[in-house]
Amino acid sequence: MNVNFLAAIMILALTGAFLPVINRLFRISGIMGALISSVGYVISAFLVLISDSGRSLLNSFFTTDDVTRLIGFLILVASWMTMLVVYWVTQRDKFVNELIGSLMIATAGALLLISAENFVSLVIAMELMTMPTYLMVLFAFDERSFEAGVKYFFNGALAVGTMLFGISLLYGMTGEFSFAALVQNLFKDPLVALAGVFILAGFGFKLTAFPFHFWGPDVYDGTCPGVAALLTGISKSAAFIALMRVVYEALPVISGKFAFIFALIAAVTMTVGNLLALAQKRVSRILAYSSVAHAGYTLIAFAALSVPVSITGILYHSAAYVFMKTAAFLSFAVFLYVWGARTMDDYKGLGKREPLLGALFLIFLFSLAGVPPMAGFISKVFVFTAAVDAGMTWLALLGLLNSAFSVAYYIWIAKQMYLEEPVIESPINNPFDKKFIVIPLAVMAVFLVVLGIWLGPVVDASTVYASKVGL
Amino acid sequence: MILLSMILVPVLIAPLAWFGEKLDKNLPKYLSLAVAAFLALCTTFLFVKYPGNGFAFEEFYRIYPPFDFNLHLAVDGISLVLIGITVFLAITVTLSSWHVERPGAYFFLILLFLGPMVGVFASLNLLWFFIFWEFTLVPMFFHIGIWGAENRIYAAMKFFIYTHLASVFLLLGIIVLFLSTHTFEFEQLLKASLSPEVAKLVWVLMFIGFAVKMPVVPFHTWLPDAHVQAPSPISVFLAGLLLKMGAYGLLRWEIFMFPEESKFFAPLMAFIAVLTIFYAGFRALAEDHIKRMVAYSSINHMGFVLLGLASLTAAGISAAIYEMVGHALVISLLFMIAGYIHHKTHTWYISELGGIMKKIPGLMTMFVIGVLAAVGLPGTAGFVGELAVMLAAFDYYGWVMVIVPLASALSAGFFMWMLQRAVFGPLRESLKELKSLKELPMIENIPLAMYIAAFIVVGIFPMLVFNVYNPVVDTFAQLFK
Repeated sequence: MNVNFLAAIMILALTGAFLPVINRLFRISGIMGALISSVGYVISAFLVLISDSGRSLLNSFFTTDDVTRLIGFLILVASWMTMLVVYWVTQRDKFVNELIGSLMIATAGALLLISAENFVSLVIAMELMTMPTYLMVLFAFDERSFEAGVKYFFNGALAVGTMLFGISLLYGMTGEFSFAALVQNLFKDPLVALAGVFILAGFGFKLTAFPFHFWGPDVYDGTCPGVAALLTGISKSAAFIALMRVVYEALPVISGKFAFIFALIAAVTMTVGNLLALAQKRVSRILAYSSVAHAGYTLIAFAALSVPVSITGILYHSAAYVFMKTAAFLSFAVFLYVWGARTMDDYKGLGKREPLLGALFLIFLFSLAGVPPMAGFISKVFVFTAAVDAGMTWLALLGLLNSAFSVAYYIWIAKQMYLEEPVIESPINNPFDKKFIVIPLAVMAVFLVVLGIWLGPVVDASTVYASKVGL
Repeated sequence: MILLSMILVPVLIAPLAWFGEKLDKNLPKYLSLAVAAFLALCTTFLFVKYPGNGFAFEEFYRIYPPFDFNLHLAVDGISLVLIGITVFLAITVTLSSWHVERPGAYFFLILLFLGPMVGVFASLNLLWFFIFWEFTLVPMFFHIGIWGAENRIYAAMKFFIYTHLASVFLLLGIIVLFLSTHTFEFEQLLKASLSPEVAKLVWVLMFIGFAVKMPVVPFHTWLPDAHVQAPSPISVFLAGLLLKMGAYGLLRWEIFMFPEESKFFAPLMAFIAVLTIFYAGFRALAEDHIKRMVAYSSINHMGFVLLGLASLTAAGISAAIYEMVGHALVISLLFMIAGYIHHKTHTWYISELGGIMKKIPGLMTMFVIGVLAAVGLPGTAGFVGELAVMLAAFDYYGWVMVIVPLASALSAGFFMWMLQRAVFGPLRESLKELKSLKELPMIENIPLAMYIAAFIVVGIFPMLVFNVYNPVVDTFAQLFK
């Protein structure tokens, strides 16, 4: 691991850890807390950008390659914007600094996770990313958050347990944890496949892949939407990258067997996600099920793991997803805070009340739906290209049909916001600084549009990675 | 730079129109008119400087060469004519929307639509073609959904989901094509060799995408809803431009690109075309809703376009392109006036109208001229287009096509019957006292007069249009020899 990248993670985690302490000592106001954490974010983003030079250490545990740098940077930006919006929507809460601190530590965990090249560090990083979120989900939003917190905790514990069992099987066979050693020592064996299935199941929980998706919508819906943005956007994207490393670097020996399993899970996950999303009345649940569906799209790229473009698909979809899903939940958070809008009926006419915010929300929804020129479109192109290239045209067609039908509920939100007459008369919170909250969301929208047209960074990183893993 | 600026200027000016509404309510429409004038200037330049054959004004913007994701713009005679139509309709639609409510958002969306529209006709990169193609849905969705008639929301949703679903097949076709050829460039795709099975698969997938947009029976059901519910100026965009995208895509990216497969599927296309012509004709005959009737007659004309394309001869393709131009001008006029009739009489139904010629003779005279052009009166664009298509179809398919002229009689039937019931005859009691039943203000007459002038000019001097693209079509027609 590059020393600058490590420093970035440390700075982020330490800022997050000391933020509550500083607050206890000096009683800082909301804007000061946001400033302090922003400084932490800026420094660590800068360190991530220069992490291609400098010494490296802990090389058997972590790696810093183009994928880490790129996705790390995107995660940092998304997390920074999340922090700003979360600060804003929870500014009156007295535990807001604790919440932001946890957010930063979880982001540090995500950065570790995308660089893990060893099952030990992978589990540690995943726990570092998950532990703060157990707290965050419980963050007193309403009584539903308690149920969500318990559900999330048990599912998370189960996921890690399952994954650890699979890892221990691999360790028992080879005596190794590191991906590089495993790939040389593993051989085709039913036990390896079994271990792979356990590890995959553990990831399945994190990614809300069918049949491990049940906790997802309940938790995303039950907790504060800012936290949901972190859980479904940032931590899922990081988990996708980690799964990519496991599949391509540690377990290529059983990838042939996995292709079909991935294809099956992908097909069911996206179909179930989209069908259930269509049936929802609460916007947060629609976004939650759309997040399940998007896990399915990404798994299509995993199913095509024999072709290099599958890596492009995974990377591109993770990169686009971290912005569009996070930002969609954040827009929801802002609408909830200002207008108290939860259900589809509440969203009627909100686009007329908040033209700019509404337009941004639309950009995110259209990106999720895969309308060009947003990044969600080109990422889907890569995912489906991978599927066709790997000879799974049926899967690509199914994915495309899913994507076409998913438009129905995204466009339904657009319809509620712009085509209907407003039902909510007045905002429940109308802070003076409302116009500034557009800025973080606009930044994310810009990232989405730029990523949608400027393919260079992501595709180049994926090409390098593909040649590294021998595709 | 000229083509890129034609795409980017409208898109970049669009936010100004939105925010400009706060400064001055009139600003958005003047901005839109200014952009349309700018586009007209550029298009005139293109027409004047166009060398007569092949692609010209090539612009190549490297974005990501390894994936062939480069913005490659160029126009040939065919795209030039369609860009001309785009710009012409941009001007008339802006003038027709002069008194629209919420002008900021309205003209924002108009401008957002125009840029990608030029992009569709000017892009030589298949993926970028698709990006422009798909993006045009978004402004149209809001136009129909916000400014439409009573049932607008249903129509907007149906329009978006239906056409997006069709685009999915197009996208899958594009992906399969890319994986076999590793290029999105038009000229390289022309040279690329594909295995027959893959080519047929791609042909069918892409055809679904284009056929829904055109639309042809049985993929047409989104159109009557969308066109009827859309505000009239937007119906003009839908009929005049959106449908042309389908026909243009079919021509450029399927017929030119897969001559062998197109020959194989030509009878199918011809069958669908004839089916469309007759089905839409009979539906129009049965229709009491005046704008729905115009919408079905629009489908009927697109059947002629498809028939011309399906003949796979230089004459047929030329005739089809001409028919596209004629259709854009004639149907736009009819949609506008159908909208005005509703606006003035508060009814859509032919059975509730009658004798309105007596109250608004000026507007109705234009309506009659438009109807005659749609029926195919000699001296108008409708005549030349239909005649040329029929001749080409006879030439290629022989006597089977003798049924097509019957369709012309059918269209004469439903139009004349409608005129007799709605426009002529004694004035209906309920309309006598109607205050709103009066002539249009000057500014709204201008676009109508422009349509009439345009379709008479190209009807009397069809070579004005034919000459622009005939050499191009002749070159491509060599592929079918």
